[in-house]
Amino acid sequence: MIPTAKDFLGAIWPPFRHKDDALLTPYYTFHDYRQIWGMGIFILMAAALLPLLVMTLIYYQLTEQSIDREAILRTERVASNARRAVTYFLEERLAALTFTVNEMGYDRLTDPGRLKEVLSNLKLGFGGLTDLSVIADDGTQVAYAGPFNLEGKNYSTQPWFMECKQSSACVSEIYLGYRDVPHMVVAVKSLRADGRFFILRATLETERLIQTLDSYRTGEHADIFLVNHAGVLQTPSKYYTGPDQRLTLALPPYSERTQSLVASDAAKRAVVIGYAYIDTKIAATSFILMVVKERAGMMKVWLDLRHQINWFLAVSAVIITVVIILTSTFMVNKIFHADREKAKTMMLAESNAQLASIGQLAAGVAHEINNPLALINETAGYIKDLFLIEDRYKDDTEMVEHIDSIIEAVERCGTITRQLLGFARHFDVQVQPINLKRMVDDVVNFHKKEAEYRNISIHVDIPESIPLIETDRGKLQQIILNLVNNAFQAISNGCFLDIRAKMDDAQHVCLFIRDNGCGISKDHLNKIFEPFFTTKKEGKGTGLGLSITYGLVKKLSGNITVESQTGEGTTFMVRLPIRMEKEIPS
Amino acid sequence: MKHYDLLIVDDEQRYADMLARRLGLRNLTCQVCYDGRSAIECLAEAAFAVIILDLQLPDLYGTEVLAQIKQRRPDNVVIILTGHGTEKDKQACLAAGAHAFMNKPLDIDRLLTIMNRLKTRSA
Repeated sequence: MIPTAKDFLGAIWPPFRHKDDALLTPYYTFHDYRQIWGMGIFILMAAALLPLLVMTLIYYQLTEQSIDREAILRTERVASNARRAVTYFLEERLAALTFTVNEMGYDRLTDPGRLKEVLSNLKLGFGGLTDLSVIADDGTQVAYAGPFNLEGKNYSTQPWFMECKQSSACVSEIYLGYRDVPHMVVAVKSLRADGRFFILRATLETERLIQTLDSYRTGEHADIFLVNHAGVLQTPSKYYTGPDQRLTLALPPYSERTQSLVASDAAKRAVVIGYAYIDTKIAATSFILMVVKERAGMMKVWLDLRHQINWFLAVSAVIITVVIILTSTFMVNKIFHADREKAKTMMLAESNAQLASIGQLAAGVAHEINNPLALINETAGYIKDLFLIEDRYKDDTEMVEHIDSIIEAVERCGTITRQLLGFARHFDVQVQPINLKRMVDDVVNFHKKEAEYRNISIHVDIPESIPLIETDRGKLQQIILNLVNNAFQAISNGCFLDIRAKMDDAQHVCLFIRDNGCGISKDHLNKIFEPFFTTKKEGKGTGLGLSITYGLVKKLSGNITVESQTGEGTTFMVRLPIRMEKEIPS
Repeated sequence: MKHYDLLIVDDEQRYADMLARRLGLRNLTCQVCYDGRSAIECLAEAAFAVIILDLQLPDLYGTEVLAQIKQRRPDNVVIILTGHGTEKDKQACLAAGAHAFMNKPLDIDRLLTIMNRLKTRSA
């Protein structure tokens, strides 16, 4: 047969989940094993998994916080370094212009030859300079050195000019200007001999500044750029360029020092921003340096690790769950088995006690009935004597018949009371060695004729290895006879009777008497050893045969059990000690 | 001294009387006692071929009565007739010299057989 899923489930399904024999139920210590099982699993799971989960969550939180703090610090450090580089870049150029303007003076600088010489020297020293020009206090360009001819152009409306007029130097924003090339202007103011001021202005290419900034860009998701106070990008941003070169992030609040904060970008992603408002010692600028890093990118290593930890946690939880379920099932099963054994023993003890008390009651009843019975017997006997001996009613045969039936009934009652008394009393036991096989053969011989007549086959299988049993001959014979009689009454013609014996352990022998007769229904099975219990028709059986057998087996320090299936047959098992003690327990 | 065939000792008066009447019908002379002491007293006044003795008596237990009978009349035949004799009682009584041990209800023919056998033996 192919095992089905149901068979498999049945095999692994713990026995305490099956419906059990209702007769045993009152004897169990615990009644709801399913609940105990469920509670056990729940408590163990809570005790094992809860601390694990709580610890993991705390660990996640602490690690995340520390990684966050570390990321913010790192970003701030990058911003601080970049700020120093940008400030130095600008200060260096402003200082060079200041030196030049003070060293050369207005007259020498307005000499075109000299200005060209200065430009080439500055280019040599710093690089990244496009042109150099001298502007008078009215904004007119008076001298120019560079690739474009811009002499005579008026700058009086340019913001850098106005700023420079106010202070001693200025740094412009980055703009496209007339030439449509991104550039910036640095300028320093100086005084002429006549007291009027003039300005030395240099145009700087932004490429070098951008390169400097780029050297601080670290990682895939990092961005570094300059933005002005109005939020317009001054150097290109990789991720945050909006329309009209506007920054898509909110501008951070003013601070003198380098700062960092966590904000969110246009797509609501968390970003860590390190920033600094850039001011040189010589001139203020409108630049804000910003270092922006995507938080998720910085956390990536941690997130990967967390993913692995989650997997590990899940696998561990599954293993713990499986182990807990298996262990709980095993333990509850053990308890259940022990409890069931206890319940069985208690039920047996109770039924034994019940049987014993029934026996005592029966003996008491028999004892009390015996005296009036004897009187009935003698009275009836006397009447009969009167009939027969006195010759008074000699011809009244009907009367004699009636009296005979009274005496017969009394005899029957006498048999019952004797059996009842025998059932309850502890007679002396005479112990002697007995060959079990020979005894069984003797008993079977009594039934040989009946078996032949009814076509019943009898198999006797008692191995030679069974030793002589020291027990009471008469009682053992009675036991076997009763059980064989019983079987003969239960089976119909053509059935079989099987008598086997085997050693149960070194001290006990088991005798099995099996038939394939009508069987005993489950309701009757518990009562068959009780006195007066019979399923035979009234007057056919006393209901004492098996209860006497039971009493006899007990007297021989043995026990008797029965297994039966209605319609399939019955097996009686008698277990006896090989060597019986002479002291009989009362 | 008067001579009787039987002395019946039984606390159940009607039973003892009825048994005496049945035996009387069979031409056996009977004396009846209802307790142990009066039975022992009877022994002093009359002689009995057979004594039928119950074990459950109101004053003495049957085995004690048996012992006293055997002490006074060692050869007297005593048959125990009891309602509920145990194997132990049986062994004790036979050891103390009882001739037979019978259970109630009594099979009168068995009693008569024993009586006849005794008669032929003494004859």
